Amino acid sequence: MALRGLVKHFDTKLAVSQVSLDVPAGSFYGLLGPNGAGKTTTLSMAVGLLRPDEGHAFLLGYDVWADPTAAKARLGVLPDGVRLFDRLTGPELLAYHGLLRGMDAATVDQRARELLEVLELGAGNRTLVVDYSAGMKKKIGLACALLHAPRLLVLDEPFEAVDPVSAALIRDILQRYVAGGGTVVFSSHVMEVVERLCDHVAILSDGVLRRHGTLEEVRGDRSLEEVFVQVVGGRVATGSELAWL
Amino acid sequence: MSAQPGVLPFVRLKLRLIGNGLRGRPARIALFVVGVVISGFFAIAGYAIFAIPGVADNERAAGILLPLGGAGVVVGWLFLPLVFFGVDESLDPARFALLPLTRRTLITGLFAAAMAGLPAVATLAATAGMVDSAARLGGPVAGVAQLVGVIVGLLLCVAVARAVTSAFATALRSRRSRDLAAIALAMVAAAVGPLQLLALSGAERADWDKVAAVAHVVGWTPLGAPYTMGLEITDGRWWAALLKLLIALAAVGGLLWWWSTTLENAMVGTAAEGRRATATDRKPVDLLLFLRLPRNRFGALVAREVRYWWREIRRRASLITFTMVGLFLPISVTISNGSPDSMVIFVGALAALSLANQFGFDGSAYATNITAGVPGRIEIGSRTVAHAIYTLPLLVTVSVVVGLLAGHPGRIPSTFGLLIAAYGVGLGLVLPLSVRAAYALPSSSNPFAMSSGGGASKGLLAFAVLLGAIVVSLPLQIVALVLGSVWLWIGLPVGLAYGAAAFLIGSGIAADMVDRRAPELLAAVTPNR
Repeated sequence: MALRGLVKHFDTKLAVSQVSLDVPAGSFYGLLGPNGAGKTTTLSMAVGLLRPDEGHAFLLGYDVWADPTAAKARLGVLPDGVRLFDRLTGPELLAYHGLLRGMDAATVDQRARELLEVLELGAGNRTLVVDYSAGMKKKIGLACALLHAPRLLVLDEPFEAVDPVSAALIRDILQRYVAGGGTVVFSSHVMEVVERLCDHVAILSDGVLRRHGTLEEVRGDRSLEEVFVQVVGGRVATGSELAWL
Repeated sequence: MSAQPGVLPFVRLKLRLIGNGLRGRPARIALFVVGVVISGFFAIAGYAIFAIPGVADNERAAGILLPLGGAGVVVGWLFLPLVFFGVDESLDPARFALLPLTRRTLITGLFAAAMAGLPAVATLAATAGMVDSAARLGGPVAGVAQLVGVIVGLLLCVAVARAVTSAFATALRSRRSRDLAAIALAMVAAAVGPLQLLALSGAERADWDKVAAVAHVVGWTPLGAPYTMGLEITDGRWWAALLKLLIALAAVGGLLWWWSTTLENAMVGTAAEGRRATATDRKPVDLLLFLRLPRNRFGALVAREVRYWWREIRRRASLITFTMVGLFLPISVTISNGSPDSMVIFVGALAALSLANQFGFDGSAYATNITAGVPGRIEIGSRTVAHAIYTLPLLVTVSVVVGLLAGHPGRIPSTFGLLIAAYGVGLGLVLPLSVRAAYALPSSSNPFAMSSGGGASKGLLAFAVLLGAIVVSLPLQIVALVLGSVWLWIGLPVGLAYGAAAFLIGSGIAADMVDRRAPELLAAVTPNR
């Protein structure tokens, strides 16, 4: 995935400013940033959900905005929030995604069952996705993104609101996926997860890309959290205020 | 126990919330002004109506109008918030859950705050007409008694509205029961039209003695009791007036007690219980598809849409409303010996109108289809097919029923042709509109919550399209009139062709627009969070 000078304004506010980024094939890439930094906006532009004001996005060599069909065929996306057709049951939703991707029905059935079982969602579960817990919604969203065996996965906050057991499961699946030659890009503001999983990181704040490169390049000999807080410009409580606590 | 605040802070909070809601938002101020004007209109009209018996010096009319009118006002307070306006949750009890307030303080405070609003003021002004009547009929003492009654009546109105909505809110915590209640309310709302006609026809051959008897009984129920106190004084029955006051006060007290019990639940909240899921062994694809839909992209899209028309509560409400209107209008026109043709065109166009904001129903979930790269032609086509699966049987039913009721079974095919033509024209206009003027629906779980501002104006656009569809279908109706009996033979094929042509043109335009503007469409239907 390659981004070239992406810019996006919302009304008068500049949400993303000149973001250029190269994600090498086969890498596990973490996009870090505080809330409101423009992570979701950047990823939305990268996968073709939000038209950029300027700039280009390439997925596996195809321009997302010039040749969307070719680019999207090899891409799996877990969008943020509740962007799923959640009035379907889990199996129905997976079947929908599979057929929508032009897969044949037998393959969809086989892969959907396997995914539901591995992610512990239950292949025969007839609960509507809208009634799922937050962690289950993330898992079914991930299953939908994986179903057509994409070469590139773009995940927006895959670990948000996920319990530790499910998070470990998701981590395992993603690591296996990268080991098999896939590329993962995901956004997060949880340093531990990024430090443990990623070989590349980028730090975004106020719509500007502050640091990017391999994990070692970015953090040097400090912890990622220290670098992050320093780059983003957060303050550390000194002790003189809030003394009554 | 620390000192408890009185009711004033609650009232001030409510007024401040109203004021802050208006600040710097011209659209809201305009809406508020419209609200003031409408309330003022109702207040004046109500006052005038309730004052008529006094001015006309007609005690018998007063004996009918006051209890029935008063009961109507109370029932209005009961149903209108549920059906149309939603509940004014500016003072949400849940927000007070963490404050050290006794239940008694909270209830009186919220109750007083609920009084500070346009509806309450308008109601008080309208029912003040009854005081006028009572004073003219029975002198100042009767007037004072009626004034007490009117004020107690207002308390009753507000208590009814609060208690019932609070009870509903508690009962409707789980999604499933809320869905059921929404369906029931949609049917009630859709039945208002037919009921009105029934009431009108009933009024034409009304037996006033019977009505007076009913009014007398209603006057002794809590609904009418506060509004008839002045009349009892006029008749010299002091004891009756006192008894009615007690009845009304007891009702208010009971309602407040009921409210306070449900309030506890509303503040704490109950966990939503999911549907008891039963396991199944069927394959995922078979679970999604049905009706021998093709096992491909088109089939999946149609299957999802069909499921959504039933499972998504707002869509189901619109289907039910359309079914009621679509069946009732042509039938009532046919029965009253009018020509159903113009109604038929209206119904056909109306059927297409439920697609006017089809992407808005999806909300941000539409992102799925964009990332999968669904071509516009398939997107639009599948949505129309899914809608037609629900609509076409209904259109067939309408034409058959109308033909049979009119005593011309031979006209069934040509009527159906006209319906299809209007449906096709409606689709041809609505489909491009649904892409171009899509708007986000609030992500609220209340199926009756409407988005304010931009959404409303785009809703008006849909109304314009309805008119347009009727106009475009008119030539066909004129041809039908000119040709007379020949039309009975060629009506169906001509109607089908006309409708199909309009649909193909419109859907082609819409499909192009989806291909070019999919991200903008997604942004338009994504609710702001």
